[in-house]
Amino acid sequence: MKLRAKLGYTAAGMTVFAALLVPFLLYGLFTKGFAALGLHVDEMYSGGPKVRTVQTAGYSIDIHRPVFPRMLQREGPFVQLDWKPVSALPAHVSDVVDVDGDGQPDIRVSFDVPRDAKTPLRVNVEALNPRYEAMRNVGKEKFSRLIVRVDDAILVRVPLAHP
Amino acid sequence: MATKARIWKPGDTVPRTIGRSLLLTLPIALWSLLMFANPQRQSNRSLQIASVITSIFMIALFFMMMRTGSTYRWRRWFFVALGILFPVGFIHNVMVMRGTMGIPIEEMIAGRTPFCYLPIPLLILPAAFTKTLVFPGSILPGGGMSGAGMAAMAGVWLAITLVVGKGWCSYACFFGGIEEGMASVPTRAKLRRIDPRWRYGPWAVLLVMVLLSLALFEPAYCLWLCPFKAVSEYVAARNTVGMVQNGIFVVLFGGLVIALPLLTKKRTQCAFFCPFGAFQSIFNKTSVFDLKIDRTRCSPCVLCKTACPTMSLTDESIARGETLMSCMKCGACVDACPKHAVVWHIKGTEVATRPERARLLFLYAAWGMAVMFAGSIIAQGLATILHVLV
Repeated sequence: MKLRAKLGYTAAGMTVFAALLVPFLLYGLFTKGFAALGLHVDEMYSGGPKVRTVQTAGYSIDIHRPVFPRMLQREGPFVQLDWKPVSALPAHVSDVVDVDGDGQPDIRVSFDVPRDAKTPLRVNVEALNPRYEAMRNVGKEKFSRLIVRVDDAILVRVPLAHP
Repeated sequence: MATKARIWKPGDTVPRTIGRSLLLTLPIALWSLLMFANPQRQSNRSLQIASVITSIFMIALFFMMMRTGSTYRWRRWFFVALGILFPVGFIHNVMVMRGTMGIPIEEMIAGRTPFCYLPIPLLILPAAFTKTLVFPGSILPGGGMSGAGMAAMAGVWLAITLVVGKGWCSYACFFGGIEEGMASVPTRAKLRRIDPRWRYGPWAVLLVMVLLSLALFEPAYCLWLCPFKAVSEYVAARNTVGMVQNGIFVVLFGGLVIALPLLTKKRTQCAFFCPFGAFQSIFNKTSVFDLKIDRTRCSPCVLCKTACPTMSLTDESIARGETLMSCMKCGACVDACPKHAVVWHIKGTEVATRPERARLLFLYAAWGMAVMFAGSIIAQGLATILHVLV
C-alpha cells in the first residue's frame, strides 16, 4: 500500500475517532475556545457597559456608556438607562437624570409603569442638555430610541443629538 | 432514479446478510443508546418516548443502509424527518415562551435571540476587525431557546464540520430536509433545463451578505433573506420595513423551498441560494472523504448528474472523475449509477479499490454526528407532537 493511501486511511480513522470525541470533548473544547476569544455582542443590541448607578428612593437607575453606530449601521447614537427593580417603581416615574456625571441635569424622563408586564410602555424625554434628543410618546421604534421592559428592569434608550 | 436501492452484484464484498448488517449496525446502536440515555430526559415522559422512537428510527435506517448498500434512499427519511420536526419543536417552544413567532426587540436586547449556524460566515469579518458579534444573542449560556448561546452553536458546528465537512448539509442541517422532501414528491422533474450558472448563486449571496454584514454591522442575511425565518422565527413587524422583511422571507421560502424543488426535483435553496452552504463547501477541501467516478466503469450515462440534488456534477467533472466542491455527500449519485462507477473515496487511496470501506468509515462518522445532533432535534420535535396530541 502506498504511503498516500496509508495516510488517507489513517486520516479517515482519525476522523471516526474525532466523531467519537465530539460530544465528550471537542464540542466543549470548541465552545470554550470560542467563548475565550474575547468577543462581545454589538453594543447596539446589548446597550453598552454600565458606567454609573444613581440611587433614588427605593429604586436605582443604571447609566450605560453612550453607544455610537459603526460603519454604515442604520441606527443613531444613544445612551441607555435602566430603571430597576420594576417592582419598586411607582406607578408614574418622572426623574431628572445627570447622564454624563458632570453634576448638571441632562434629561427628564417620564413614563407610566403598568402593573401588567404585557402592557406597552411609552416614554417622554425632555432634553435639558442639547447633547440629548427629546422624545415624545415613544414606544419601541428603533434600537436607538425606545422604552422596553427586560426582565426586572425598564430600559430607556435616549438618542444623542448628532454633532 | 436516486430513490431506487442499489442492487449489489455477485462478488461484491459489501454486507448483505442480516447478521453481517446487524453486526455493522452495532456500533451505531451503542452510540444511539449512549446519546439518548441522557438522565436529564428522565423527567420528561414525552421526551423519553420520543428518544426511544428516534433511537430505533436512526438504528433502523443505518441497518437498511448496511443491508441494501443504498445510502441516499435511507438518509433521506432521516433528513426529511429532521426538516419537518425541527420547526415543530422550535415553533412550539417560542409559542410557549413568548406567544408569537415574531421576535420582539426586548428579547434581542436581552440577548435571547436563538442562534443557528447560518449567520456564522457573516459574523467572521466584523469579529475579526472589531471583536464584535453583530448578532443580538448571547455568547455564553443564558441566551437562545436552548439556553445555549452562540459559543455552543459555534462549538457544535466546528466539531461536526471537522468530522463531516460539507456533509453538514446532508447529515446535520435542520433546514434542508423540507426541500429534500418537496423534491422527492414528484416522480419526474417538470423543469429540467436549469442554467448551470445558477450554481454560482450561493457564492454571490455569500459575498454580498458578508460585505453587507460588515458594512451595516448587522446579520444581513437573517434580517433580509433567510427563507427559513418563515418556519422558525421572524422579525416582529413593528413598521413597514419589518413587513417587507417578512414578505421576503415568505416569498423566498415558498419559491426556493416549496415550489422550485417540486418543479425541479433539486434542493434549489441549497444549490442556488444558501450562503452557508457555499461557505461550508470550503470544508470539502479539508475533509478526507469525497466521491469519485471510476472512469473505467463510467459509460457515461449522466444518471448521476440528473440525480444530484445540488447540481454538483457536470459533464466536465464527470470526465475528470470527481464531483464539484459543492458536493454534500448525500450519496444520490452513488445510488443512481447502474455501473457502480460513482464511489465513496478516501483521499490518497486508489479510486474504487475499497469503496465500501470508504463508505463505511464516512457513514460511521456522519451518522454518529446525525444521531448526536440531529437526532436530539428529531426527538424534541417528536416529543412536542406527543405532548400536544397525547
